[in-house]
Amino acid sequence: MINSDLQALITTLQMAGLTTIILLIIGTPLAWYLAKMTSRFKVVIEAIVALPLVLPPTVLGFYLLIAFSPEHLPGQLWQQATGQQLAFSFSAIVIGSVLYSLPFVVQPLQKAFEQLGDSLLEASALLGAGPIDRFFSIVFPLTKASFITAASLGFAHTVGEFGVILMIGGNIPGETRVLSIALFDHVEAFDYARAHVLSISLLIGSMLLLAAIYWLNLPKRSLKNKVMKKNSIEHHAND
Amino acid sequence: MTKLPISKTHQAAAQLDIDVSISFQQFDLTIKQAIPLKGITGIFGHSASGKSTLLRAIAGLEKALSGHIKLGDKYLAHSKENLCLKPEERHVGLVFQNSRLFSHLTVLGNLEYATKRCQNRQLNLNEVIELTELSELLVHQVSELSGGQQQRVALARAILAEPKLLLLDEPLSALDRQSKTGLLKMMLNIQQKLKLPMLYVSHSLDELQQVCDNLLVMSKGEVVSFGNIHKVIHKLNSIDDSEIIHQQTSLSLPIKGFNNGHDLTTLSLNAEQDIYLICDQAFQHQTQLRCFILASDISISLTEPSDSSIVNHLLGTIRQMNHQKHNVLLTVNCGSQDFYVTISAFSQKRLSLSPRQQVYLQFKAGAVRTFIH
Repeated sequence: MINSDLQALITTLQMAGLTTIILLIIGTPLAWYLAKMTSRFKVVIEAIVALPLVLPPTVLGFYLLIAFSPEHLPGQLWQQATGQQLAFSFSAIVIGSVLYSLPFVVQPLQKAFEQLGDSLLEASALLGAGPIDRFFSIVFPLTKASFITAASLGFAHTVGEFGVILMIGGNIPGETRVLSIALFDHVEAFDYARAHVLSISLLIGSMLLLAAIYWLNLPKRSLKNKVMKKNSIEHHAND
Repeated sequence: MTKLPISKTHQAAAQLDIDVSISFQQFDLTIKQAIPLKGITGIFGHSASGKSTLLRAIAGLEKALSGHIKLGDKYLAHSKENLCLKPEERHVGLVFQNSRLFSHLTVLGNLEYATKRCQNRQLNLNEVIELTELSELLVHQVSELSGGQQQRVALARAILAEPKLLLLDEPLSALDRQSKTGLLKMMLNIQQKLKLPMLYVSHSLDELQQVCDNLLVMSKGEVVSFGNIHKVIHKLNSIDDSEIIHQQTSLSLPIKGFNNGHDLTTLSLNAEQDIYLICDQAFQHQTQLRCFILASDISISLTEPSDSSIVNHLLGTIRQMNHQKHNVLLTVNCGSQDFYVTISAFSQKRLSLSPRQQVYLQFKAGAVRTFIH
């Protein structure tokens, strides 16, 4: 049924969208803290943030499954607060995605904040700008490209997630059944036609998103040069 | 909202009281000095003498200090009372060596960044733009500007925040000579119009000599000397090290005649004695002139030279003779002014010069130097 694939697409977009928003909210201060941190514990925190890059998703999924179960504290607290079970819920796959995609958001932001340095922030403080003002008037406009990269990577990586969701989400249509899981189901059922449709859509979608990121990150100068070159060529042509 | 006249916007507070120590790996900075908040005070010293660190401490960018900094009647930092105001709460401006302009904003955007966050808002944006000659550049991106233009934007931006004290950390060091002179003039003009006290850090005594009223000399994190700029420079003359100072006579004299008909300007040294220097259009509207004469540019004669092309010869009395590594430094008193002269030990012996002896000082009009043209 195509409808179930559409349902999976909607679930996927909802999950990835919500995950990206949460990641930007918690990833920005975390990246800022790491960029400014000089303590030797910095490497420990950096390693923890980067862990999902190398850890098999099933390992993370397995531990989250245990933590989210009603027998353990995080799952119990969730159940007390919301009255619902955490494991095999939409909330569970969002939390799992946040952890799993964290490095894709934190690392580009951290790098951008480190490159920005303190000099402009010192200058703006001396002009009377407080910390929040400095963030929105200086940091954000000057690192906008990195925010777009971070958000896109976080979003794309969450869309492509499989192992963690398989472990903690189950396969509940409209709740935790996302595209990658639907694709796996089609292959298992030898429905290659539908598997192809999903695969090619995911492939093209990811490709377009990455191309957009790289385009946004092109150095502005080279773009300007191109425009100037083009203008000068036209100029010569007119001579 | 009515704008107050520009000259009344900055009422200078009494003094900047500094009593701080800051520990670094290479050296400790220990400064105890009260600086009158009047005119431009120069801070002179070699690299790693701690002068930039001192400015950063006053601005609130250097937090790990013990002691106190008091601007007028307000403490900016007081370690005993655990008080350390944030940079944005200090009303202290700082112009950095590299202008630190905001590259995502235009020139006007950079200026408005300051005005939007200023609580007083008594300065008129257009007046400051005029003072810093930026009206042609307002719509430009800051990356399109030359170094000198960028520093003018940085200066205007700092002024528009309406600080009670403006700090300048080697603002001219990356500029060519022409931009330097232009910016120095601008600083002087702004200081006089806005009555904004400034602390100006530089390793160029020539620059400081032209604009500063007082001079603070630092070495290895400590204050070596503080006071009237001419007196402090003359005190530095006793250091026989051309790396630190070109021994000189530093003067601030009234202009007696702009042009004597032969393109020479006359300065009045005292009731009887004048000094001639080469006339410059810029002197026309000035009543007072800052100039200096290098000790190596003055020669000594025992009789009054009457058949020499050298225009300046002053009768004086040798007050002091110091034998240095390669020559002899004479302090010669003319009226109430001391002149500093270096001659070879050979000449000193040949003329058998001694203290209290009367001599003639000779120097060309071209040896009387000014930085601002």
